[in-house]
Amino acid sequence: MATELDRELETLDINVNVGPQHPATHGVFRMVLTVSGEKVVDAVPHIGYMHRGAEKLSEGVDYRQGLIFQDRTEYLAQFNAEMCYCQAIERLGGIEVPERAEYIRVILAELNRITSHYMFAGAFATDLGVYGTAFTYAFREREYIQAIFEAVTGDRMMYGYFRPGGVVWDVTDDFKDRVRWVCKQTRVGIDDIDRLLTKNEVFLTRSLDIGCISKDDAIDYGLSGPMLRASGLQFDLRRDEPYSIYDRFEFEIPTGTRGDVYDRYLVRMEEMRQSARIVEQAIEQMPDGPIMPEKAPRRLRLPPGEIYMRTENPRGEYGIYLVSKGGEKPYRLKIRSACLSNLTALKQMVVGHYVADAVVILGSVDIVLGEVDR
Amino acid sequence: MSALETFFDNVWIDALWRLLAVLGLMVLVVLALTWIERKFIGRIQMRLGPMRTGPFGIMQPIADMVKILLKEDLRPATADRLVFELAPFLAFVPVFLTLLALPFTAKWGVRVLDLGLLYFIAVSGLTVLGYVFAGWASDNKYGLIGALRTAAQLISYEVPLVLAVLALAMLAGSLNLLDIVEKQGRVPFIVWQPLGFFLFMAAAVSDLTRRPFDVAAAESEVAGGPWIEFSGIRWSILYALTEYTNMFALCVLGSLIFLGGWDWPLGLKWGWWWQLVLIFAKTMTLILVIMWVNGTFPRVRVDQLMSLCWKLLLPLAFAQIFLNGLIIVYGWPDWTFLLTSGLALAVAGYVVYSVIPVGAPSRIVVRSGA
Amino acid sequence: MLGVLRGLAETLRTMARKPVTVQYPTVRREMPERERGYPLLLWDSEVGEPFCTGCHACERACPTECISVIMKDNPLAAEGTSKRRKIVDQFLLDYGRCIRCRICVETCNFSAIAMNNTWDGHEMSRYDRGDLVVNLDQLLAKSKEGGFTPWVSP
Repeated sequence: MATELDRELETLDINVNVGPQHPATHGVFRMVLTVSGEKVVDAVPHIGYMHRGAEKLSEGVDYRQGLIFQDRTEYLAQFNAEMCYCQAIERLGGIEVPERAEYIRVILAELNRITSHYMFAGAFATDLGVYGTAFTYAFREREYIQAIFEAVTGDRMMYGYFRPGGVVWDVTDDFKDRVRWVCKQTRVGIDDIDRLLTKNEVFLTRSLDIGCISKDDAIDYGLSGPMLRASGLQFDLRRDEPYSIYDRFEFEIPTGTRGDVYDRYLVRMEEMRQSARIVEQAIEQMPDGPIMPEKAPRRLRLPPGEIYMRTENPRGEYGIYLVSKGGEKPYRLKIRSACLSNLTALKQMVVGHYVADAVVILGSVDIVLGEVDR
Repeated sequence: MSALETFFDNVWIDALWRLLAVLGLMVLVVLALTWIERKFIGRIQMRLGPMRTGPFGIMQPIADMVKILLKEDLRPATADRLVFELAPFLAFVPVFLTLLALPFTAKWGVRVLDLGLLYFIAVSGLTVLGYVFAGWASDNKYGLIGALRTAAQLISYEVPLVLAVLALAMLAGSLNLLDIVEKQGRVPFIVWQPLGFFLFMAAAVSDLTRRPFDVAAAESEVAGGPWIEFSGIRWSILYALTEYTNMFALCVLGSLIFLGGWDWPLGLKWGWWWQLVLIFAKTMTLILVIMWVNGTFPRVRVDQLMSLCWKLLLPLAFAQIFLNGLIIVYGWPDWTFLLTSGLALAVAGYVVYSVIPVGAPSRIVVRSGA
Repeated sequence: MLGVLRGLAETLRTMARKPVTVQYPTVRREMPERERGYPLLLWDSEVGEPFCTGCHACERACPTECISVIMKDNPLAAEGTSKRRKIVDQFLLDYGRCIRCRICVETCNFSAIAMNNTWDGHEMSRYDRGDLVVNLDQLLAKSKEGGFTPWVSP
């Protein structure tokens, strides 16, 4: 009897399964936390619940059809993923993109960055326990931008609008006015969420010094995007390896100092404002003209070769490694997923914190399972 | 006439009909509050709330009630049967009992007790047992952890609540709720005790396990809460009914002792109809404030919850009692209450502000190369 | 304390705004012209036959392989009333597989297939998955009624 009691009083490390079905909106991701009392001792992420074989499917279709898989992989920042894919093909094939198409692409990609960060703001606030207020604000603002996307492309989520060489059809006539209006409106929306959360004491106590990762560790783990910038390294592919026409715009790169959850939130909020700035500059500079190159072939054939193209997606560095053996279909299309690399640092960030913080830290990584699992 | 009067003068019959009246009132209030909450939170979130069930969704509480009543009554096979079935009632009945001490007008309450305030606080503290019973009886590791955590939260926050109310009783010089309301004839006590009011509201929000203190619900996301094995009508009693009745009771108490109840500002000469209107208006104001806070704040973590209670609210409560005592003993004029209490509240705000490094924006922004 | 008060003020301010809810299905918001609903076939009312000649171009271009076409000789061409020598015999489109990418519309040489930019291009709930595979008559139904103007890209 006495020995049984002793054994019962021994503290046991419990395995808490933050299961594939999340109450928050992160998708099918499983995290097994080993918890001793209240602190997390070990964290093992399990992925693969959303693996759909996008890379393999891309090998079986030609370049125009393969674009659709990019939308469905990165389903919150679709234009950025499509941009990376199209740029990879254009660089490998030596295809010139007309000016107007470049501007349209940049405008849509930056607006998509804003919507993606809005989604982050809403989901993150929900993780923290705000009842849904920040979520509905974020989604209202997203609706304004999505209305533009819907008017231009016809769809609300899987746009399939870019093509290697340009965009598939021209934008609507009221595009410029709507974009200008949305840039102004977005600033109001960002301020709304800002006022609700940024200086809120409860928010601060939940997010300051939680999930810190130092600059050296961030570089070692291969983090990118807002996570890397929040840790203090000022690295943005739009400035350091400019693709498309990003070198024509003036914008700032927000960087954090502490690498904690709060810094990531601040970096993303400021990035939204900078994206609005880029869009405003682009819409003024946008010329008239064709949107596809004149001699665009009906069926695109790429010369043999390989290329690794990387772009600055809202979540980090999204890369496409394309191997072509001539012909209409790629030989190998590998997607370098930003979220997957960011997730490798999860264990380091989570261990030592409370269980409730683990959910918050996961929210701050801002994962999209389609991209993690492809 | 006289037969009817003597019938109703009988103590038992009198108690019975008052009890039934309060029961009916409680049911109506709970139904109304579910609707009000959903509409109000919807408005905060720029959406409409329920609209389909009846005009403007008025029948939504009825629909919810019907759904809950029709659910299967599940009970884990290994659960302790008596404790499992007792738990919802043990959580709900004390809350209902607190309603019995509240005077709704100058002449009507179920019973006016000399120690009304003490009775209220004492009885409402019994709900903790309901949660512990619920967690224990579920035979679920996570349910038990959640229940113990909720119990810790509720017990901890009782202390600032009791002390804030005690400070107020010192000010009023009585524990009789009627006396307290009458003493606020000219100025409601919130003016003299802003710190006490803040403590009362904070402790009330925690007593209701609402945001920002709804750790129990957050546990359900990760490790389960005390209600994890309860479904249907049991869950409804344990969670919805208790919470809304408790909210109503606490807000009525708050409006009686801090906002002047049915007396301020109109006084007694306007008749019982106006008194009812006043008290319900003030209660609704406090309820809406609680819902407003619910829709705005993120959740506090459980260890932060505890340290907030013991390191911030408790010293403030003691400070309030101490200041009240000083002023009463030395016979200083009334406005010193406002001065000291307001100062203490400001100091508290400053302490919270400085402990959290909000000042320096934690980011560097550098101009881009282009 | 100011931060929480600011947050509370913000929610108070939002309460005054008009709710943004659109109460579907009582109220349906207007769709933009380019809206991509599920595809349908167009009917040439002048000649009295579908525009589609059954050339298999869309079938080859479809990324999900959801189209199935059978071609036949056009009886109206033999009579001399139509310029199309071949016409579609059977056209099966699986709405369950279609991803609405619009590549079929882009590829079609005869502008015979178009995306349904009205509300019933989206309201496709069925009780049986088999009902999602539509045939030629179902696809032509909306265009035959008249009044349907698809959006043609410039």
